Amino acid sequence: MIIQLIVDRLKQLIPALLGVALVTFLLVHLIPGDPVALLAGDRASPETIAAVKTRYGLDQPIVVQLFYYLKNIAMGDLGQSLRFRIPVTELILQHLWPTALLMIMTILITIPCAIILAALAASHQDRPLDHAIRAFSVAGIAIPVFWIGIVLARIFSVQLGWFPVAGFGEGLWDNVYHLVLPSITLAIGIVPVLARNLRASLLEMMEADFVTAARSKGVPESYIFKRHVFMNALIPNLQLFGVIVAFLFGGTIVVEKVFAIPGIGQLLISSILGRDYYVVLGLTFFFAVFTMLVMLIVDLVSMLIDPRLRS
Amino acid sequence: MNYAFRKMLFAATVAISSAPNIASADGVSISIAVAENPQQLDPMRSANAPDILLHGQLYARLLHRDSTGALSPGLAESWTISEDGKTYVFTLRDAVFADGSPITAEDVVFSLDRTLNHPESAYPAPLSAIESLEAKDAKTVSIALKSPNAPFLGNLEVFNASIVSKTDVEARGEEEAFAKPLSSGAFMVDSWDRNSSIQLVKNPKYYRDGAPNLDSIEYRIVEDANTRVSLLKAGEVNAVEGVPYANIAELRDAGFEVPLEASTKTQIILMNHDNPPFDDVRVRQAAVMALDRVAIAKAVTQGLVTEVANSSLPGALNFHSQDDAALPYDPAQAKALLEDAGAVGAEVTIIQVSGSQVSQQIALLTQALWSQVGLNAKIEQLDSAAFRTRRKTERDDWHAAPAWYYNETLDPDLAVRWAVCGTCGSNAFHTGYRNETVDTLTEEALSETDVAKRAELYAEIQQISTNEVVHIPLYYPPFTNAYASDVEGLFMTPAFQWTLEEAKRK
Repeated sequence: MIIQLIVDRLKQLIPALLGVALVTFLLVHLIPGDPVALLAGDRASPETIAAVKTRYGLDQPIVVQLFYYLKNIAMGDLGQSLRFRIPVTELILQHLWPTALLMIMTILITIPCAIILAALAASHQDRPLDHAIRAFSVAGIAIPVFWIGIVLARIFSVQLGWFPVAGFGEGLWDNVYHLVLPSITLAIGIVPVLARNLRASLLEMMEADFVTAARSKGVPESYIFKRHVFMNALIPNLQLFGVIVAFLFGGTIVVEKVFAIPGIGQLLISSILGRDYYVVLGLTFFFAVFTMLVMLIVDLVSMLIDPRLRS
Repeated sequence: MNYAFRKMLFAATVAISSAPNIASADGVSISIAVAENPQQLDPMRSANAPDILLHGQLYARLLHRDSTGALSPGLAESWTISEDGKTYVFTLRDAVFADGSPITAEDVVFSLDRTLNHPESAYPAPLSAIESLEAKDAKTVSIALKSPNAPFLGNLEVFNASIVSKTDVEARGEEEAFAKPLSSGAFMVDSWDRNSSIQLVKNPKYYRDGAPNLDSIEYRIVEDANTRVSLLKAGEVNAVEGVPYANIAELRDAGFEVPLEASTKTQIILMNHDNPPFDDVRVRQAAVMALDRVAIAKAVTQGLVTEVANSSLPGALNFHSQDDAALPYDPAQAKALLEDAGAVGAEVTIIQVSGSQVSQQIALLTQALWSQVGLNAKIEQLDSAAFRTRRKTERDDWHAAPAWYYNETLDPDLAVRWAVCGTCGSNAFHTGYRNETVDTLTEEALSETDVAKRAELYAEIQQISTNEVVHIPLYYPPFTNAYASDVEGLFMTPAFQWTLEEAKRK
């Protein structure tokens, strides 16, 4: 059953990736702007630009370029960065760790916060604590991420000097230290979404028939909550969580810019602005694989929690 | 207090995280936060500002320019110039690359030839006077020019006249060789995290005795201007490039130096002469006279620049004439000129680079002021790749564009060729301006060796091109770099180079 799911997903992955490759290839080549003109600088003559284009194969008809591109990715070669003249894979790998660590830290902050806030709100339904948590949630969703980032940096880095203003540092602990504010910034944006949803699910489950049944049999409240309410409320939220993790990439782009973190969000933006075609394509490819993996993991975890899905 | 708190917070990892970043490298170091991302360390391949700044640190040239702007012998110890001014013979000093291999005449010929003749060379113009290059022996280079060339020695000092190692480039291949170049300059690349930072360390084999003072430089690429300012305020960097005008007062109040160094930049509005209505000189003159340029300069620079540009050429250049040739603010006269040209109510498109606050403000103010004399502008924002393509190749789709340019030397020749000459390959900075007198004067001034006569020729070029409105000169922007008080001797030269060789920490 589980193996079947994995095999099915992998089968879906191939046409999906092909579609992603085709669409992004056409999109990046259709937006106006010339990578070589940007690279050489404004003063380069048309002859110079033409010579550089020939060397990169950018003078070929777009269909031919597409053919070579697909052929290369089939062989596992994502091509070379036009700007830095190093392989795309190498460039992505260099930028992967900061983003990965940022996402891991954000998730580690988000999960306990969301669960605690939701549980508190649900258990204090319609009382002041519930209202306070819901008000915080609305604020967290409404305030733009970059603004939170700038404000946190101004207060905790510039004024108080507790954290570095920007950058990534060297060595694991220094990396973690540099990412404290960025991951809090990101978490402030997503905790409310999860907490609100989880609160609603908890409330729904607390009034479910099987909970009433358990109560009437004298099962202790804490056991009911852990075993029946919480587990059942988790299932729909796990799917939402999967979507949010994939979505988190969008957030990292903004946060990486504000905190000058050398991650793949920054790389994507600078590559789009610099028309660094193969890096944009490689990253899109990477995002597609990542998103599908997250969804697969979410489904597998759902199966673990929910016996109904296993049968 | 900050330091103590950091220690407390990360007591277990004191060794790694407690020391402030800037002190972590060995020896004396300076950390600079820059806005733009360097991409090419090959001096021949790029004329982009962030690359040029690094080329200047990594490679020595035949001539050297110190922080006062004076030209002195560099890798060339001495030289002779023939009577007819067409042959230069340089004698090289005993200098070596960072790996200890000698810098020979072969390397000089190889390097200059690459910049001049390589089909992918980004900007051969500074060396275009060269007819042929020859290594007479290991220490002697002979350069024959097509004609006498007044600014030639100065041009041998610009970024892409950098000397690279022939042996190394051929052995490692271009891509490898310039991913981690073999330095001939004051600093060499220690590590390069693309999109993030470049660590430079002192080149111990550098030919100038006692230079540089610094042991290392950390070059941090921080795109967001707010973040750059915060980094400086928090003491994580010692210097910041490109502070927004709005943050200057704040930094000065906090005790940072913002000297506003003079630059060879000119902030302008480009006009497209290929299409109506700006193909008509009367409409261009009306477009200038409709603009209150003093008000624009003050608004954009938050009152820091109060003088307008007096001409189409950068004010910091040699031979710059102080005569104000630019037309005055006179909306009534502007209206009359437009009526005269039958261009009242003309529709024009201003294109503008998105993300540039300065460009945006200029575009908006221009739109407002033009509408008062009967020129209807619409503004289109483009990202810089699309902007450049539009400006250069889609000539029917724009009429005006806020822009700036700078000159890599103080000699006006290259600036004239870039911004006003119609036959010099630049299409007069994409305007399409053509004036045969200007074109002839450009060549005459280049080979004129009498300084007074050269000055007259450039004054004439300045007068004609400004009066015919090749573009609208707005103001001469200074560099807006900020420095911590413990940095000494670091600034940016008018020709866009850091004085890192002389810089010190107090």
